Amino acid sequence: MTARPALAALGVVAAASLLAAAQAHGEPISGPRLDYVLHCMGCHLEDGSGAPARVPTLEGVGRFLRVPGGRAYLVRVPGSAHAPLDDGALAALLNWLLLRFDPGAATAPAFRPYDAAEVARYRAAPLANADDERRRLLDVLERSATTAP
Amino acid sequence: MSRPEPHAIERLVDRWAETTARQLARGLSRRSLLGRLGAALAGAATLPLLPVSRVSAAPPGEPAASAPDGIEGPEGDPSSCQYWRHCAIDGFLCSCCGGSHTACPPGTTMSPVTWIGTCRNPADGRQYVISYNDCCGKSMCARCFCNRNEGDRPAYLPPKSNDINWCVAAPSTVYHCSTAIVLGVAADR
Repeated sequence: MTARPALAALGVVAAASLLAAAQAHGEPISGPRLDYVLHCMGCHLEDGSGAPARVPTLEGVGRFLRVPGGRAYLVRVPGSAHAPLDDGALAALLNWLLLRFDPGAATAPAFRPYDAAEVARYRAAPLANADDERRRLLDVLERSATTAP
Repeated sequence: MSRPEPHAIERLVDRWAETTARQLARGLSRRSLLGRLGAALAGAATLPLLPVSRVSAAPPGEPAASAPDGIEGPEGDPSSCQYWRHCAIDGFLCSCCGGSHTACPPGTTMSPVTWIGTCRNPADGRQYVISYNDCCGKSMCARCFCNRNEGDRPAYLPPKSNDINWCVAAPSTVYHCSTAIVLGVAADR
């Protein structure tokens, strides 16, 4: 009962930000950003925040690059693996997405951009249960954070 | 049946008017009459303020007024299924349901998650990115059903399917109607 007004307000904010996005349409949307808008934004939203408990947030997405299997995870999730994009376009989209939602990680010296060959390799083994893999990777990250000196 | 005489008709009308007036007088208190009259007057005063599409009323040849999101379109009725933005919609047009093609009707909430496609605007021949956000929280509007499926993919490709109830992430998952919001121009590919 008490959550409803808050949720309704959220909806209004979402609608307002959508319209704000709609008003800023001078420049044509192109390249990886257009792919994000057409293939990801419907669920992950313009700011990458997603929908609580339904669509994971993209904020801090670069942390997956710090854990074994995380780099593959970003390609093997259904939204990436099954996107109607070829390997080169998906690689460009992921590089753009990392820069957009986790600029710190994507500009770090250790950052290695995806290329078509790497994407093709990971994509050949899409995840049957992305939620479980996400939880496993976040768990590994958390444990490494608590044991770090 | 023979035709009643004119005075017979008058008598009938008289009797009908009298019984109706008496029934009204018996059934309605003065207070309720005043209340209804007041509501009717206030309603009549509000009517001209409601958002009404006047696009079709514009003289031919003149450019259509721009929509609330600033996109001009060719002459056309946003409450019609053939309107250019609706090229990939599947649902009831919110402009027929008390809202518009960019706003939800009162009492409903716009679903934040949605599906996004492109439609060609015949005014400039360019592809525009359209977000088909559903409005949720009231039972199906059931007016102006529009099912055009350009670019629509089967439900096993959820992000590209308009058969999904996109109210899944709204406060209420009950679907009411669909909007068609322009997000921008898509670059040529």
